[in-house]
Amino acid sequence: MSLIHIENLNKHFKVLNRREGLSGAFRDLFSGDYKTVEAVSGISFDIEAGEIVGYIGPNGAGKSTTIKMMTGILQPTSGVIEVNGLVPYYNRIRQAQTMGVVFGQRTQLWWDLPVIESFKILREIYKVDEKTFKQQMEMFNDLVGLKALHMQQVRTLSLGQRMLCDIAASFLHNPKVVFLDEPTIGLDISVKAKIRSLIKRLNTEHKTTIILTTHDLGDVEALCTRIIIIDKGKILYDGDIKKVNALFGAYRTLKVQIDNFNESTLQTLQEKIVNHFGVDKNLTVAQTEEFWTDITFDQALTPLSDVLNFVMKNFSVLDVRIVEISMENVVQKVYDGALG
Amino acid sequence: MRKYLPLIRASYMVSLVYRFGFLFSIIGNIVYLGVAYYLWKSIYQGRDVLNGLTFNETFLYVGLGSAIFILLKTYADWIIHFEIQQGTIATYLTKPLDFQLYSLFTNFGAVLMNLTAITVPTAVVMIFVFKVQVTSGIGLWLFPISLIFAFLISFSIDFFVGLISFYSESVWGVTATKDIIVTVLSGGLIPLQFFPEAMQKILYWLPFQAVYHTPLMMITKADLGWGTFLPMLLLQIAWAIILLIASRLFYNQAIKVIRISGG
Amino acid sequence: MRTLGEYIRLYFIIEAQYIKARMQYRADFIISSIGMFFTSLATLGVFWVILQSVPDVAGWSLMEMVFIYAFFMIAISPMQILFDHAWQLRFHVQEGTFLKYYFRPLNMMFYYMSEIFDLKGLIQLVMGIVLLIYASIQLQIDWTLLKIFLLLITLFSAALVQISIIVAASCAAFWVVESYPVLGLAWKLREFAPYPMSIFDGAFRFMFTFLIPIGFVAFYPSQLFLRPEEVSLLVYFSPIIGIGLFSLAYWIWTKGVNSYTGTGS
Repeated sequence: MSLIHIENLNKHFKVLNRREGLSGAFRDLFSGDYKTVEAVSGISFDIEAGEIVGYIGPNGAGKSTTIKMMTGILQPTSGVIEVNGLVPYYNRIRQAQTMGVVFGQRTQLWWDLPVIESFKILREIYKVDEKTFKQQMEMFNDLVGLKALHMQQVRTLSLGQRMLCDIAASFLHNPKVVFLDEPTIGLDISVKAKIRSLIKRLNTEHKTTIILTTHDLGDVEALCTRIIIIDKGKILYDGDIKKVNALFGAYRTLKVQIDNFNESTLQTLQEKIVNHFGVDKNLTVAQTEEFWTDITFDQALTPLSDVLNFVMKNFSVLDVRIVEISMENVVQKVYDGALG
Repeated sequence: MRKYLPLIRASYMVSLVYRFGFLFSIIGNIVYLGVAYYLWKSIYQGRDVLNGLTFNETFLYVGLGSAIFILLKTYADWIIHFEIQQGTIATYLTKPLDFQLYSLFTNFGAVLMNLTAITVPTAVVMIFVFKVQVTSGIGLWLFPISLIFAFLISFSIDFFVGLISFYSESVWGVTATKDIIVTVLSGGLIPLQFFPEAMQKILYWLPFQAVYHTPLMMITKADLGWGTFLPMLLLQIAWAIILLIASRLFYNQAIKVIRISGG
Repeated sequence: MRTLGEYIRLYFIIEAQYIKARMQYRADFIISSIGMFFTSLATLGVFWVILQSVPDVAGWSLMEMVFIYAFFMIAISPMQILFDHAWQLRFHVQEGTFLKYYFRPLNMMFYYMSEIFDLKGLIQLVMGIVLLIYASIQLQIDWTLLKIFLLLITLFSAALVQISIIVAASCAAFWVVESYPVLGLAWKLREFAPYPMSIFDGAFRFMFTFLIPIGFVAFYPSQLFLRPEEVSLLVYFSPIIGIGLFSLAYWIWTKGVNSYTGTGS
């Protein structure tokens, strides 16, 4: 039997339609105008013990809602959800004993206490025996040098140190499954690498299942064997990382600021690019922010230098940036059938 | 000065978002009126006059006192404390705005909201449910003017306390002490006439009585005439000016420290 | 599942660390204690000022009112000391930080409330005890073992009543964005508890006895010791009222916790 079993899961919310302006605020006082939002509709998947699964999608896709249902916070509107053989919503306390959670930048440690005291309290809460506690603390120390932070107050830790502590703390009681929500958000590259290796090691140490939600495709590449992409409450892709990896890895977006940009520029650029490189090379042109034009292309098919040279030759370019593909672009690619 | 005026409307609108919050404040105050009514009735117990006040006058004083308390309760002290503590004050310092004036006008918007949502309904309840009688006289005309100066004094004290709590890192302790001192020594809980004579003399020279006692006297003893009210009003205006200047000087001092330490 | 004993042990472990950490902010503790001292003193001051002009309020002398107020101060201390985190519930709910309380294998109300142990409440407790002893001596109350037992039972019940009102009111945060006025109202009602309920009639007495029974926080139970001959039969129900109200507040909390969805998607 799989560790997490989800079948045709739905979650709908009712939200109030708020109105604008002074008179709108007055009318809202007596308003009963609600609309239904389908945060999650009809998703199904199974997760086996020991897997690291990347659960990704743009903002508002339904990721957090699914996680909240798996952790027993939200009751599904309909559908089946079982974690470790239990229905999370009805068995919160039992479930919590076998679960670890890290939620982005919000620490779950005791703000005013030294790190070690937080771990000692957690040891009491999860009834971790003396021997296991010692072993775990030794392991955390080997992995990230936790001992150096023991006497520091949680509030004085840097964001990266706090995240390391939070992640370690979530593994203290040897949970069966750990949910990590944006574990590397707001951290610089070297700290990100440290956190990724910690997660990897903790996963292999006790075959702990990890569900990772992130905006950082680097996390996914570094950690996951399997990926589930969700958008607008539905699953777009569920499968091997390798297929998607090629997609993330090779795609780049070239952002250019073109002089005298006007509405027809985009059109002209699009036509010229298709004419020059051909339809099959799969280059797309779009505008996602003011003054900037995005050209997304596959490096495996078209070298960056070719694209850059071409644009520079044909247009008067003021500024250039190269960025890795964004979550939104990935989702768009999947819609366009890139994984088909 | 014109650029500050939109702040009044903005904070008025912000207050409006708080859907049914006002309902509870009104209920709370009506219950308070009821409690005060019964309490003072049992204190009077058939006596016509205590310390120169009839039951009707005392109830008007205490009831309206609670309405003014809510009117002036804008939590400026807390807000300023958090603006400094969380460093959001820096965003004001970079704008062509004066932080003290900004706070003053934002607070005025909140006061207007309190006025329409809570103070006016309270007054209506007092007149129509508790049948309170108001004597006419010059005091009634001076009352709104006096209220504006009461607001300025109350704001200055709050502003001052907001800054102090930054230094002391204890916002609750400082504001709670301030709240209780201001309300008790200003006549916010019991009319000052009930205090022992010696205490009244001291309280007269403190700024607190200018917040509640002065405007409340103008309503409860409206017919006393200029002879009584003019000195009271002048004293109130003097306090408003002194405290505005004092809080300004303190602010200038504090802002230097904040600029250096980074808030 | 955990036993009560385990929870108590855990509470001591958490609070011992918490107090140790708070001791770094000694200035805050001292200033807050001063604030608490003056706040508690103010009502006494009001009684004293009023009773300068009249001999009694509805037949209650100053010392009797001091006794009722002392009872009140002790009875509200557990709420102040152990349940002070209720005030921050609305921030946690709005900012989504409330989520973390779901993730531990603990009773959520326990876990949530254990995060703050309000030291300044101890000042109130001590003041209450001192005043109660002082007023008892002045009133020449003869403390028998039975009376002390009754005092402990009624204080426990009164504390539960006060805790329930504040917890239930704070739960409004789960449903309403700006829930502060609900808690503010509950807090304000608390201020009326030390007044002799006999001054009220009709709707007000009914409300303070049955609807929001703040009469049970101080006045009714104090009668047992001040005027045993006038005691209303209701006083003997105060443990039931206390436990019943707390169950209700706990039920509201559970409803709120279950209906909370967190911010974000």
